[in-house]
Amino acid sequence: MDKMKEKNKTAEVSLSADAISEKIKRRNKIYKGVSVFLFLTPALILFCGVLIFPIGASIYYSFFDWNGFGTKTFVGFANYVELFTSQIIPFPLALKNSLLLAVLSVFIQLPLSLALALALGRGIKGERFFLSVFFAPVLISTVIIGQLWLKIYNPDYGLLNSFLRQLGLEEKIMALTGDIKDVLWLGNSKIALGAAFVPILWQYVGYHMLLLYAGVKGVPVELREAAMLDGASYGQVNRYIVIPHIKPIIKISVIFAVTGSLKSFDLIWVLTNGGPLHATEVPSTLMINMLFLHNRYGMGSTIAVLLIALCFLFAVLISAAFRKED
Amino acid sequence: MKRRLIALVLAAAMVFSLAACAGGGKGGKTKIDMWCIATETDSNRKAYEKAIAEVTAAHPEIEFNWEAIENQSYKTKIKAAVAADEMPDIFFTWSCAFLGDFVNANRVYCLDEEYKNWAKDLDPKMLNNTTFNGKHYGVPTTMNIVVMFANMDILKKVGYTEVPGTYEELIKCCDKLLAAGYTPFGCSGKEDWCVTEYVEPIIEKTAGAKAWSDIMTGAASWDNKDVAKAIDIFQEMISKKYFDPNGAALTNNEVKANFQQGKYAFYMNGSWNCADFFADSAFFPKVKVSEFPVIDSSKSKLGQLIGGPSDTLAVAQSSKNADKAAAFAFELGKAICHYGYLDGCGLPAWTPDYDTSSVNALTATVADIVAKSDAMVLFGDTIQAADIANIYLSYVAKVYGKQIDGNGFISGLKKDIK
Amino acid sequence: METTTKGFKKTGTVVAVIVYCLLILWTLVNLFPIYWMFTFSLKSNDEIYGQNIIGLPHKFLWENYKTAAHTGRMGLYFTNSVIIAVATIILTLIAAVMATYAMSRIVWKGRKLMNKFFMLGLTIPIHSSIVPVYITLKKLGMLNSYQALIVPYAAFSLAMAILICMGFMDDIPIQLDEAARIDGCGLWGTFFRIIVPLMLPALSTVGIYTFLQCWNEFMFANVFNTKEFIRTLPVGIQQLSGQHTTQWGPIGAALVIATFPTLFVYMLLSKKIQSSFMAGAIKG
Repeated sequence: MDKMKEKNKTAEVSLSADAISEKIKRRNKIYKGVSVFLFLTPALILFCGVLIFPIGASIYYSFFDWNGFGTKTFVGFANYVELFTSQIIPFPLALKNSLLLAVLSVFIQLPLSLALALALGRGIKGERFFLSVFFAPVLISTVIIGQLWLKIYNPDYGLLNSFLRQLGLEEKIMALTGDIKDVLWLGNSKIALGAAFVPILWQYVGYHMLLLYAGVKGVPVELREAAMLDGASYGQVNRYIVIPHIKPIIKISVIFAVTGSLKSFDLIWVLTNGGPLHATEVPSTLMINMLFLHNRYGMGSTIAVLLIALCFLFAVLISAAFRKED
Repeated sequence: MKRRLIALVLAAAMVFSLAACAGGGKGGKTKIDMWCIATETDSNRKAYEKAIAEVTAAHPEIEFNWEAIENQSYKTKIKAAVAADEMPDIFFTWSCAFLGDFVNANRVYCLDEEYKNWAKDLDPKMLNNTTFNGKHYGVPTTMNIVVMFANMDILKKVGYTEVPGTYEELIKCCDKLLAAGYTPFGCSGKEDWCVTEYVEPIIEKTAGAKAWSDIMTGAASWDNKDVAKAIDIFQEMISKKYFDPNGAALTNNEVKANFQQGKYAFYMNGSWNCADFFADSAFFPKVKVSEFPVIDSSKSKLGQLIGGPSDTLAVAQSSKNADKAAAFAFELGKAICHYGYLDGCGLPAWTPDYDTSSVNALTATVADIVAKSDAMVLFGDTIQAADIANIYLSYVAKVYGKQIDGNGFISGLKKDIK
Repeated sequence: METTTKGFKKTGTVVAVIVYCLLILWTLVNLFPIYWMFTFSLKSNDEIYGQNIIGLPHKFLWENYKTAAHTGRMGLYFTNSVIIAVATIILTLIAAVMATYAMSRIVWKGRKLMNKFFMLGLTIPIHSSIVPVYITLKKLGMLNSYQALIVPYAAFSLAMAILICMGFMDDIPIQLDEAARIDGCGLWGTFFRIIVPLMLPALSTVGIYTFLQCWNEFMFANVFNTKEFIRTLPVGIQQLSGQHTTQWGPIGAALVIATFPTLFVYMLLSKKIQSSFMAGAIKG
């Protein structure tokens, strides 16, 4: 009988011990859960409120014919269809332009940045000076860069035409561009796109250069020295040692260059606002014009949705391409 | 470590305390806010400043705040504000479609009640462009038309003491100017509306005011041979190098400055420019103003003009003091009209009850032209709804860029505007 | 390069000459527009338009600066831009460090997925959300205030900031956390006592990236604020240059006023700025 009692007692004790440890575990779990939630809250509020909710709203509005304040009419995928078939909304052209900018960024801007980074990364005299000068344009406000280049391109008094005139080259260029009085640069639909891209590419060379320079500096000196001792030339060291080593940074640079090109807006907006005759139209300028000039809020949202999808798609594709290479 | 923590907390506090900077406002007074486009270089700036000083002085019970925003940015801003129903009490708007979209969305306060108090000074005809479904929604300030400004110094050099009065004379004059090494016209290609200041008078003087007005209001089809002909005439003028080729890359301000510096013989634009030309004392004696001559006298005649009351003040439906804002808007609109007219920014939409003898000669000539007018068709980008107006503007740009001819213009617009 | 063997010295100098030519050429391409901007800000239109296009001004027209300062309140715009940039950086940093801690130090299901979710932000164009954000800000009564820009800018900087913070936080040895636990610190204690102080180097890196994001932004700044007292530099410059299209001197002066303080600070801190920027590249 006593024994029974004893046994029961131990059972009771062990039961309560289990319960307590269970309780502690659960409390720990709740504590952790609540903590995780609290730690994430500021970021989630910002992120969902300013990025995710508007995307949702844009997707929703993209199915409507709506001027932004009147009554909405559901139109299904009509906006998407119109965007690719319309004679009036030059979306395919805008897309082509921004893809061209992406290509130019990757094949002109990045190689130039890489060349500068490799040259500086070698540890030459004046390294700091060059580094500082090359990065400086990145810090100047885009609107300022835009205003400055508007002055450079001005057909009457701009720096570029004055310079060409003094060299006696303006006539020759006019013959090529079909201009009559002066080279119009941003005003000539044949060359405006190229003219608008130059400042964009110019401004961000420094950005990519510094990213890549960081990578180059991170290559262990022993690796270089070993290769040099083996008789590798400067170019060979870069090609076989440095570049493969900084591939992850090149990948980031490529992603930034491509998505940045697709998103490009500010400089184009200041320089040409998509003109002349839509020659420099990019998706973002078209979107803003649809929203605020054409009063086509649904169509503007459709462009926003496609733009986000494209940026995302390219980021994934580029990552995949680099992974495959490895 | 503690110090750093405090720094972080302080930083966070700073972020949130910034909220305090935004709000505020004195008690007891009625707050009225206004947005307009009279920035520092706008011709209307001085008129707005004087009018606001006068009207606010007369109403100490009202705390009035106003903000001037550059034209292009303003369109973005006011539309975003309308979309969010976050408009100022009083806002500047262009008449017809621009305001009409907002009215249709129920965002504009009806001014019928308040108008009764002002009807004796404001002819109801002036409200036509801001009346929707029989109700008034806008207070017009000034009205403007498209005119042709001429630099008589240059014209004298090729033997003209008056602006050519017929189309044939004008062409002859342009040829002489070219031969003497002068550029007849300047037109900004960077701002599409500037091209319409040439295209619309040329179309009107070829096809007639009635035909053009019907097309603009959608009563008639774009399929009109006279319009195509007018476009071809305009493009012929471009081909003959009557226009400064550099204009394609210039803004309107740059083109206007070129005209004031004597680079062009003619400049076609709104009559509001009289104010700026008047203010430029060296240039003012040289300039004369006239309407574009008739091209096809069987369809059009002198006195058929492009323009009308467009600059308008409107009151937001969401305004907390809409009735007070409405009264204020009328009083302010009247004062802006008064000072604007005296400055030369346009013709009065309100009947003047003040001495107008000080109005400059250019504006007086414009008033004369309007007094003799036969018909007026409002600016195409104001009459037509936003989407259509912008399609129309892009076609006009194509015409100036010589991507399409007259037939391409009418057939394209017929197809794209439904 | 001391290790270069003798046979390589010749090609070494040839390469060095080419390299220097490239670098000097690019230096000129970078500096010349800035030099030109500075000189034309002090010239009259006559000089700019033909008499003296690229030389130093014959007569230094300091009035241009007076005109620029008079028509636009450049000082005010500059201060606004700085306030907004600093507040954005702080807000971004707080949100990013906290979120990073939750995703890199606390073990829970779905933390990898959450990280990927945040990385979506890297690809979203800021302009695509302008009207929904405007409506939200309006509902919160935040239009026409500094927060109207700070909050969206912080949100758009967040993805990059988390990416960088992840890199930095992974470098902090996990043993430090464990030691803190043994000492009786909870998750929060560890965060404030161990992680936050050690994350200070990330501060400048995140700061630089965030600064680049919000210093240049134009569209939000234009649409969300109508009051002059909170107008930012890009909006002010754009407005001012619309007003003086044909007088290049004052525009140049305004551009210089807007640019040189940044460049000056940059010259003082260039080493620090560059190294933090580079740190971001490697950790990110």
